[in-house]
This record gives sequence, C-alpha cells and structure tokens, in this order.
Amino acid sequence: MDIAEEYEALTQFLYLAPVGIVQLSTDGEILLLNPISSQLLMPLTRDGGLANLFTILGDVAPDLRYQATQFAPPQGMICDGVRVQIDAGVRGVRDPRVLSLSLLKLDNERMMALLSDVTTQVKRERMLRQNEAWFNAILTGIADYALISLDATGRVNEWNPSIGRVTGFAREQVVGQLYSRFYPDDATTHDRILDRLHEADANGWSMDDGWRVKSDGTRFWGSAVIVPLVDRDAATRTLAGPELGASVPSVEAIASLLESPDESRYCLIIRDITDKREATEQYRRDTQCDHLTGLANRRAFFEAAELELARFRRTPRRLSLILLDVDDFKGVNDRYGHAAGDALLQRLAAVLVGTFRQVDTIARVGGEEFAVLLPSAGIDAACGAAERMRLAVDAEAVEVDGEPIRVTVSVGVATMDGDLMEFGALMKRADSALYAAKSAGRNRVVVSAQPLAAAATAQG
Amino acid sequence: MVDTLPFTEPEIHGVLDSMRDADLDSLGFGVIGFDANQLVVRYNAVESSLAGLSAHRVMGQPLFTTVAQCMNNFMVAQRFDDALAEGRALDATIDYVLTLRMRPQKVKLRLLASPTGAHRYVLVLRAG
Repeated sequence: MDIAEEYEALTQFLYLAPVGIVQLSTDGEILLLNPISSQLLMPLTRDGGLANLFTILGDVAPDLRYQATQFAPPQGMICDGVRVQIDAGVRGVRDPRVLSLSLLKLDNERMMALLSDVTTQVKRERMLRQNEAWFNAILTGIADYALISLDATGRVNEWNPSIGRVTGFAREQVVGQLYSRFYPDDATTHDRILDRLHEADANGWSMDDGWRVKSDGTRFWGSAVIVPLVDRDAATRTLAGPELGASVPSVEAIASLLESPDESRYCLIIRDITDKREATEQYRRDTQCDHLTGLANRRAFFEAAELELARFRRTPRRLSLILLDVDDFKGVNDRYGHAAGDALLQRLAAVLVGTFRQVDTIARVGGEEFAVLLPSAGIDAACGAAERMRLAVDAEAVEVDGEPIRVTVSVGVATMDGDLMEFGALMKRADSALYAAKSAGRNRVVVSAQPLAAAATAQG
Repeated sequence: MVDTLPFTEPEIHGVLDSMRDADLDSLGFGVIGFDANQLVVRYNAVESSLAGLSAHRVMGQPLFTTVAQCMNNFMVAQRFDDALAEGRALDATIDYVLTLRMRPQKVKLRLLASPTGAHRYVLVLRAG
C-alpha cells in the first residue's frame, strides 16, 4: 500500500469508528471530529453548528467548561466516562438517553473528547448498583449498628439496647415514635417515611445514606436499611385479586397481618458510617453533582424525579417543581467574564441550599437554569419558598474582583395533579410559568395557570 | 454543458438519472446516489475528494450506517424513510454540518427521492 492508499484506509477507519472522537482546543473549539460524534452532538446544538463542544453540551453538562479550565496539570484526564443525561425519556416508550463523556488534556493547546451512547448500559448498571448497595450493607462495617423494629406505620415498637448505643436515645424517647426520630427535621417528610416502607415491601429493602441525629442533637452520617419482616405480598395479592389465590390464607390471618398495629413489620438497621462518609460522598459528588455548584446534576435530578413520580403514582400526594433562571446571565458573562459568571452561580447555589429543605432535590439543569423538586409540598409552600429565595437573591450583591454584581431570578412554579402522568408534563408547566415570569418583566415568581384557574402572581 | 448544471436546478433528479458517471464527475457539487436497499450506487469525484475516499471504498456500502453515519438522523435519513413510506417525492435543501476528513464543514444538502425514480440522491454543496 502506498501512502495515499494508507491515508485513505485510516480516514475510513475513523469514519467507521463506533465511538465519537473529537479533538478540541482548550477553550472547547472543535478542530477534528468523526461522524459518530457529529451524530451524537447534532441533536444537542441549537443552531445546527458544531463549533464549540462546551457550547453544544452547555445545556446538558453545564459544568464542563469550568472543569476544563480548573484542570491545572499540563496533561491528563479531566473527566473519565462521565454520564451526561440528555433527556428524561418517556416512561414505557423510551429510556432516558445518556451519553458517556471523557475529556483528556493533551497539552496546553489541545484536548481529546470521547463520546458514546450508553443509554442501555446505564439501565443495566442501575439494577446492578442496587444489588451492590445491598451486599455492601450486609458485608461491610458491621462493627456497630442499631437494630430497630418498626410497626406497619413506621413507629418504633420495641426497645433494643443497640439503639441507645448508636444514637444515645433512651427507651422512652424512642418507643412509639416514628423512625424519623433519627432524622434531622427537614430531611424527611411523613410521606417519605411511608414511601420507604412501601419500597421495602415492593423491592425487599429500601436504603438511604444521609445525616442522622443523636439524642444530644449532634449529627452522624448514617446508612439506613429497611427490610420487611413478613411477606405482605401474599396477603395483598389475595386481597387484590382472588383469581391468583390458589392457597388462600384465612380472612382472619390477613386481617391480623394488616391491622395489628403493634406487630413488628419492618426491621430498620442504622449504621454509623461517618468515617466512610468522605469516600462515599466523593463517589456521589463525582457521579451525581454539578462540579461548579455542588448541587445535583441533571442525571441525579431526573433520577430523583422518576422516583418521586413512581411514589406519586402509587399514592398521589403533594409534589411541586420550581424552575428558575438567572435574568440576563449572558449579559453578566459578556461584561464580567466567565469566571464572574461562575462565582455568581456558586453564590446562587448557596442561597438555594439555604432556602430549601434537605429533602428537596436542588439541581443545576442547564447553564443558568436550576430546578427544585419539593416532595410533599403543595403550591402554597412551594411559592412561599420560591418567593423567599427570589427576595434573598435580589437583596444580595455578589462581589467579584471587588465589584458588586446584582442579579435577579425569574421563577416558574408548578404542582403535580392527577391529570399529569409524566414528569415531562410537570416540567412543561413549570417551564411555561418560568417563561411567563420572563415575559412579564423578570425578577418574579409565576405559578403555572393549571390546575388552579386562579393562579397567584408574586411580583418583584 | 453538464458543468453548468446548478445545485438548485429544479428538475435535477431526472437529469442526474440520465447522466453518465463521467458527467457526474464534472459537476460542481458532490453526488451520492443510492438504491432501494440504501446501498451506494453512484459516487462522483467531487464527493470523493470532499470525503477523501475513493469511490471503490464506498460503492455497494450501506449509506446511512456505513458511509455517512452523520446523516443517520431525523434531519436526513428519516426524511428519506418518511417519503418512501408515504410514497411521495422528496426534494429538500437543508443547511448541515458534515465531518469531511474529520473536520466540521458547513454544507448545503439537497435530498432527492421520487416514488418512480431508480435512485435516490444526496447532493452536497460546500457552503462559503
């Protein structure tokens, strides 16, 4: 083969490569890319152009530019196989689309990006991850744990000395209380307490890591697993559909199972894993957090949304969504530069964390767009919180290079009702309200007109 | 004569069908013709030099899965599928970005299909 032939063969090799390969300048400008990259990126561009990777991925991986500019070493992996969620998917029709993205710094001028569609892989991994969490809970760190027996409503029904050892509570402070006793005030809701019991019934277990409290008010990082103690399925199946009941338990047996409030129905195990928190939190930050703001990233947000929607379907309850957008953020970036814009977004994130509850999911879902999912919060509570947040942002100037910058936010609020079957529909409502807030002059909170005809508008 | 055939010529589909390969080569834009099975059957010199591939590497290959993966989407491949499914002609010109020799290149694509024609075509004109 002569050189021309060989060159052609190499060209075709790149044309045919089943993964996306892109060469970039350090500010994201695309220098070379193969067709599969273009196929993956084209649907994400607003103008159909393929000029700058950071711009193209701005809506779905808004912290990428920041990560790349913060990367100090002369070469090395900036991110490796990071999952970028493209959309929410359509339940039962299409899985949420996810891209895998790696970014390698070659030198001070150039970077390489690798892209591939990992939608199916992510779905498989999610199932595996749950199994792994379960084994992890059983096999590691069994040095000390509190063993807590709960009744059907989530109340502690028996004393066990391990509870005192791990949490410091005395018998009379705990027995008869909901297990939220061990959670900080705003870290769970009554709905959520029952959700976890339902999920334990449905999946065989329910697990969550997070802050727990001791009797003296101090916090520790705990891992909690709830496991059902009896097979409730057999009873509920029989109640729901007698056609399934080949061996039907007696009516009395079912009644005693469902109605005896004192009986132990679940086992809750809380382990103090404060010493492992750094490691698990690091992993969570890497996979679930926006690098610039530390808030949840799009992927974590859509996962949380999907879970809340499943809970809503099982037991309809209050669930609200807030979407907010920084007013004229482009102007700030143009006038003060990206670094100032970044500082501003970090400050805004702090205001959000200060305003909303621990149980709320606060996420950066676009360049200057944020979303807050509020479980068990109706429209009034959501609007109240949104308005407090808007005022807090409005009142505070962010200092960048000694110069105070003031920004405002526009906010759209929507709440779930029985008409909405998809999370995307709730997003649309909140988005329309956000758009209305922008059109009405910005710096205000607008409530989605549906489902309540008399929507309130709080003006700034 | 043939080199004056403009990219925007209204009745271009019939003209292309009747042209010999050598004449296709003298056009001012890229021509990719493909058959009912989406296999490439015509590939002119302009397209060959834009893509950096000789015709023999491309002829007989599936267009959207092998030769031009970056057109395998709702903007290009889907429109051919839709036209075929609905049994109607397609003549659409769109602004597009191709990865020619791994460089993003702005182009105009003209998509041609007819229920009666033997071949369907993608025409590629470099923009700017």
